[in-house]
Amino acid sequence: MIAARSGIAAALLFAAALLLTLGHAPWWCVAIGGAAVAWRLAVATGRVARPRRGRGVRYLLGSITAVLAIAVAMNFRTLNGLAAGTALLVVMGALKLLESQTRRDDAIVIGSALFLLLAAALAGQSLWRMPLYLLTIWGAAAAMALVAHGDPLFTTRAAFRIATRAVVMSIPLALLCFIFFPRVAGQFWALQRGAVATTGLSDEMSPGSFDKLVTEYDVAFRVRFTGEMPPQAALYWRGPVLNSFDGFTWRRARAGGGLYVAAPIIPLGEPVSYRVTLEPTNQNWMFALDTVDASPRRGVYLTHDRQLIASNPITSVTSYDAVSHLSTRSDGPLSTLGRRYETRLPLDRNPRARALAFDIRARTGSDEEYARAVFEWFRTSGLEYTLEPGATSVDAVDATLFDTRRGFCGHFASAYANLMRVAGVPARVVTGYLGGEWNPVGGYLIVRQSEAHAWTEIWLDGKGWTRVDPTAAVEPERLQRGVFDVMADSLPATSVFLHNNAWFTYVAHLWDGANQWWQDSVVEFNLRSQFDLLRRLGIEKPNWQHLGWAFAAGLVAWIAWVALSLRRSLARGKPDRIAKAWLRMARKLEKVAAPRAANEGPYDFARRISAARPDVAADIEALAARYARLRFGPAANESEIVQFERDVRRLAV
Amino acid sequence: MPVAITTRRIYILPTRGGYAFAGLLFVMLLAGLNYANSMALLITFLLAGFALIAMHLCHRNLAGTAVHSIATSDAFVGEHGRIVLTLENSADTARIGLECQAQDSERVIVNIPADSSARAELAVPLVKRGRLTIDSIRLSTTFPFGLFRAWTWLHPPLGLLAWPVPRGKREPPPETATGGNAPSVHRAGDEEWSGLREFRDGDSPRQVAWAAYARGRGLLVKTYQSPAAHHRTFDIAALTGADVEQRLEQLAAWIEAAHARGERYGLRLAQEIPVDSGNEHRVRCLDALALHGGGEAP
Repeated sequence: MIAARSGIAAALLFAAALLLTLGHAPWWCVAIGGAAVAWRLAVATGRVARPRRGRGVRYLLGSITAVLAIAVAMNFRTLNGLAAGTALLVVMGALKLLESQTRRDDAIVIGSALFLLLAAALAGQSLWRMPLYLLTIWGAAAAMALVAHGDPLFTTRAAFRIATRAVVMSIPLALLCFIFFPRVAGQFWALQRGAVATTGLSDEMSPGSFDKLVTEYDVAFRVRFTGEMPPQAALYWRGPVLNSFDGFTWRRARAGGGLYVAAPIIPLGEPVSYRVTLEPTNQNWMFALDTVDASPRRGVYLTHDRQLIASNPITSVTSYDAVSHLSTRSDGPLSTLGRRYETRLPLDRNPRARALAFDIRARTGSDEEYARAVFEWFRTSGLEYTLEPGATSVDAVDATLFDTRRGFCGHFASAYANLMRVAGVPARVVTGYLGGEWNPVGGYLIVRQSEAHAWTEIWLDGKGWTRVDPTAAVEPERLQRGVFDVMADSLPATSVFLHNNAWFTYVAHLWDGANQWWQDSVVEFNLRSQFDLLRRLGIEKPNWQHLGWAFAAGLVAWIAWVALSLRRSLARGKPDRIAKAWLRMARKLEKVAAPRAANEGPYDFARRISAARPDVAADIEALAARYARLRFGPAANESEIVQFERDVRRLAV
Repeated sequence: MPVAITTRRIYILPTRGGYAFAGLLFVMLLAGLNYANSMALLITFLLAGFALIAMHLCHRNLAGTAVHSIATSDAFVGEHGRIVLTLENSADTARIGLECQAQDSERVIVNIPADSSARAELAVPLVKRGRLTIDSIRLSTTFPFGLFRAWTWLHPPLGLLAWPVPRGKREPPPETATGGNAPSVHRAGDEEWSGLREFRDGDSPRQVAWAAYARGRGLLVKTYQSPAAHHRTFDIAALTGADVEQRLEQLAAWIEAAHARGERYGLRLAQEIPVDSGNEHRVRCLDALALHGGGEAP
């Protein structure tokens, strides 16, 4: 079993690392890895005969290697990429397991397991993964010890004990390095990122095509406000602005943007500043409260219609600071081109809506009155808010307003904007999120995919672009509360239960808060955070040198601590208690007879003393016999030694 | 003796696996910095700390070990001379995987339990007659993780003697009577027959029990108990013809045969070793053969 230990340890470590790559590496690679682990375990424990290492076997392994490398390349269409690299590592590690025989092979398997750990860390940095990574490192340390030393005296338990010690003692250094090791900015090389499914909002909207709106509980982003959080009903998170309508689908027109100059915006009221932490979407949209002032950072653009667009798709969790004004005004004017652009409509679509618009416009005096009248019409004509509106015909607006008379935010925003454009009022649909869930534990707002919303913006001369949310006319409650509260009936029972269960909500908030902290202070930790920390430590203008000094000082302290604590446990050698007790007995007996000669054995000595003191002869001879047995016999156990010491102490002469 | 191994005399360097581990750490660091990936960096730093702790633990495994005694035993050319090291561990943890090596010997791995001692027996191949000086013994360890090797050199005043191989078919010189009572091989006029034993180099063909050989029992030699034992003196000057090494080998063969028979014998080289018997005497004679002529084979 001792001989098998090395192979078993390496194989099990590889299996653990394999589990970490689940979800990143393709399933067939993981299956091959698992099979190789099983094979190695069977060989190591002697269940399967050890294959002979002939030339034929080597050719076979070589060709399997080639086939698998080609399979990986075909799966990913490249070998340069994190996912492809991980898959290749898994496959190569599996092959190494197949041919493993020596301790050196096992060491190589451990190395590939550590590479898999790196790949897993690059792919996933969530808080819940941290303990798994730590466990893997601990296991790797124990496996290294077991592979390096196969003596029965060195038990598996001892290997884990020394691994624990080494890993625990290295944690302070890891933290020190993490905080003070200068983070070089910039990429040395770029790997292709694997395709990530896009989530969240898209740049087009066809409310009529939705039979049923699927609401997802996934988090879209989190927001931490610098000051007070504005009221729920004011939390319009602006996303893609859609300004081209074909009667059924709203799209974001790509060409239109640069053609006309945006009218300058005059902010009203106090600014709201906050920090958004956006989950990856693989899209370029970034979200901010309506209306944002300026681009939060380099690489992010503020468009003419006040959306934030990143120059690269958001593939990892991203944080940014933004400042918004909840209420703004624009004196205009809207350029002719802009007005024409924002009022375009296909003439042959939605005829009934067109008739309705003409009808209402005829009764009203100004654009603003008209907008108010249409809003009133939405409120009073018996429209119903639902998440399951059913699909509609090509004339989506007519279907919503006159046939089904039901819909969700997208339907109403689309219909309202359509009615506005018919009457020549510039209008567009804005998509984004409304509201959010306050996390009292972490003190921040969670905005989920289920809070996705669409509303309308119209241009009013003298006011500028003005937000109108027709959903508020149909279902005013949606503004105050989330979808989960408004539409509880049409959602799965379990998610509603969990949403309403106070204890679960608390735990969920706690966990979300911990994750948020992890994201902010660990995952996002960078050179800027390092300088911030130095500033807080009292250095006014921190630079690289300061970091270096802090790092060096910590390193010296850590090394001193390690050296001291390891030295102490060496010097604390167990004193030979048996010998000490025996010497004490000899000292006691010096009063009786001549001291024990150097060449006098315990029995001879006892016999000589017994002759001088027949009264204690029996005790002394018994103690001498016990000493001889403890000293020269098989290893004495603790209780025997303690007993011997006590009896020597009690001996009276 | 005992000599404690102090930290000043311990050297430490990464093993091949240790260098590979360092390479792995470098790749991890590059990847972590390249992607500004905190998790990868954290893992890298943790493993780097682990490696430094491994270095300390490795050093500690050797430091404080005491060499209690070193004993040697000589042997014939072609065999292995032995060096027996007794190592002591007074710490409260076992010392695992201490590797001992003396020059060309195999590496011997010993483990010493806590507060105890252990012996390492090194077999040094002897290829040339004479004194083999052991300049140094290397004590090393890669415990616990195999990433580092700590080692120290012991420089004990040690030498192994390589005795000439007992080889040669010449007739031993005749015995001279001295009186005594040791069993000996048959000579003319000897009395009580005492038994048969296997033939060895150095025995005379005349002593072989040919009758037993004819019955297929192999080459056996008749031995007799003689009341008045004899002794021989082996003299290198009396051996003529062959070169020095062959003569020494012949002498060794005679000594071995005579010792096995329990005879009394003396040896005359440059100096004379008086007639005696027993293992101590045999070793003294063989040592003298090993060191003859400066102990250097031509």
